[in-house]
Amino acid sequence: MEWANDKSKGGVLAHLERLETQMSRSCKNLEDPPRETAESDLGTKIHKLRCLRDKLRAEVKQRQARIKASTANAEPDQTLEISEQEAVGGKEENMKAILQAYRFTGLSGKRTSRGVCVCISTAFEGNLLDSYFVDLVIQKPLRIHHHSVPVFIPLEEISAKYLQTNIQHFLFCLCEYLNAYAGRKYQADQLQRDFAAFLAGPLQRNSLCNLLSFTYKVEPQGRSFPFCARLLYKDLTTTLPTDVTITYQGTDASSTSWEEQRASHENLFFTKPLYQVFTSFARNGERLDMSLVS
Amino acid sequence: MDETVAEFIKRTILKIPMTEMMTILKAWDFLPENQLQTVNFRQRKESLVQDLVLLCESKRASLRDAALLDIICEDVDLFDMERFKSSFEKILRRALKNVTVSFRDAEENAVWIRIAWGTQYRKPNQYKPVYVVYYSQTPYAFTSFCHLKSNTPLLSQALTVASNHHKIVKMDLRSRYLDSLKAIVFKQYNQKFETHNSTMPLQETLELDMHMDSRIIHENKIEKERVQRVTQETFGDYPQPRLEFAQYKLETKFRSDFHGGILAERKEPLRCLIKFSSPHLLEALKSLAPAGIADAPLSPLLTCIPNKGMNYFKIRDK
Repeated sequence: MEWANDKSKGGVLAHLERLETQMSRSCKNLEDPPRETAESDLGTKIHKLRCLRDKLRAEVKQRQARIKASTANAEPDQTLEISEQEAVGGKEENMKAILQAYRFTGLSGKRTSRGVCVCISTAFEGNLLDSYFVDLVIQKPLRIHHHSVPVFIPLEEISAKYLQTNIQHFLFCLCEYLNAYAGRKYQADQLQRDFAAFLAGPLQRNSLCNLLSFTYKVEPQGRSFPFCARLLYKDLTTTLPTDVTITYQGTDASSTSWEEQRASHENLFFTKPLYQVFTSFARNGERLDMSLVS
Repeated sequence: MDETVAEFIKRTILKIPMTEMMTILKAWDFLPENQLQTVNFRQRKESLVQDLVLLCESKRASLRDAALLDIICEDVDLFDMERFKSSFEKILRRALKNVTVSFRDAEENAVWIRIAWGTQYRKPNQYKPVYVVYYSQTPYAFTSFCHLKSNTPLLSQALTVASNHHKIVKMDLRSRYLDSLKAIVFKQYNQKFETHNSTMPLQETLELDMHMDSRIIHENKIEKERVQRVTQETFGDYPQPRLEFAQYKLETKFRSDFHGGILAERKEPLRCLIKFSSPHLLEALKSLAPAGIADAPLSPLLTCIPNKGMNYFKIRDK
């Protein structure tokens, strides 16, 4: 009770009051400084960062100016650099053009991130036809990621036989099938389009264009009876038929001249592409006309 | 004779149907007529093949002879549309007197078939026909919904026999859009290929929407770019084929990260059906991760739909 007696000026209650005020003052002292110091800390940090940023910006500007000055001084070297650049650019254009032109060889490719994308460009008798793609993933085992080969081409069979063991053979085999298909399709399309006058009915064909069935006349004006032709292409790697059947349903079917014609037509279909056969019919027709005129 | 050649000849002869055996062996012209006559062609195929291989061995067949036989045997599909149509119709009529079958040649390789089914005593119902589209020399046919399920086996048989195949399988793939179904089964949906002739740059920069205010910064730009990249790898750049549904029939045990819980304790598998529907399901799935609704990569059950050619799944615990 010593201190109570020392400090008390108003007894215990007054003492308690004094303690209370002391406590609240010390609490305030504890709170305010942290807030203030935190704020001022951040403030100084921001200030420091701003100064640093300005300094760095100034430095960057200085360096850029220095570079400009040095390049201005070194102008004659710059023009030499430019012409070298142009030369390299020209070579690059050349290479790109060559790579693009590879398409015309029929088999070309481009490296991809996974492997290679092979492009098979089909052609028939000097006409460039559709291109088909096979995107290969180079892994063990080698596999096809995706492709644009039509579904009726036996791609699965060919890849089962050759893809893992002899990729060259795989590509050549696929080229064969696709080129032959493209050639047969081109012949059938051409017949329907350019020689429609010779056809006496619709041309029947299937997806692979390996079975063609049609009726045709030798003269578009149609004084003669039509012939029925049935062409089978059992070898899917060729563009000429393996089986040709020509029948004739006219009244004088037994006459030798018609039999000769029929045989010669069969021979034509076996040996020549369709448009050549029909062009020769047209030419023969012209010759006949000429003979009539003269 | 080399063992591999013998094996090759054996496998090639096994592939020949019995009805064509004699014709093909004669066309091959390796085994002379008198020797062929000593062989019993009425025995079981395996024994017949063994006898023939022995004869080839005695004549010392070479790889070249075997390759020649292979070429002769090559089963080339000479699809004749007229023969298909007549065969198809004949099979249906033989089984069902009251049926209307009509054909229409669509594009060059395809035929549209319309079938109106009747019964033994009732005339065909012309208001509920079934349509079938068949692409020649492909192993696929597309049919419209058939109300009378009882006629499906007959239709399948007619298609199989007329198209010269051995069996037919129903795919779990349905859509209202024939072009999309074609794109999926003929694998025509992913038609972008890298060539030297492409005019578009290959490296497509993944630009986020740049119309936004430049004061707005994308905090998770790296994550957004990752999501874009994964989505592009999964779905590609091409327009997705159009499907309306994906249905999953689950019969699995409940799996949970939390131990315990009522469902986790079930011994029986849960049975439930989950159906996703959308006017354009695959495009909707493609936009899930970029929109932030799902994590990328998406579940393979969703992304395998065009690859596997199915949008109706049955999932059971292995």
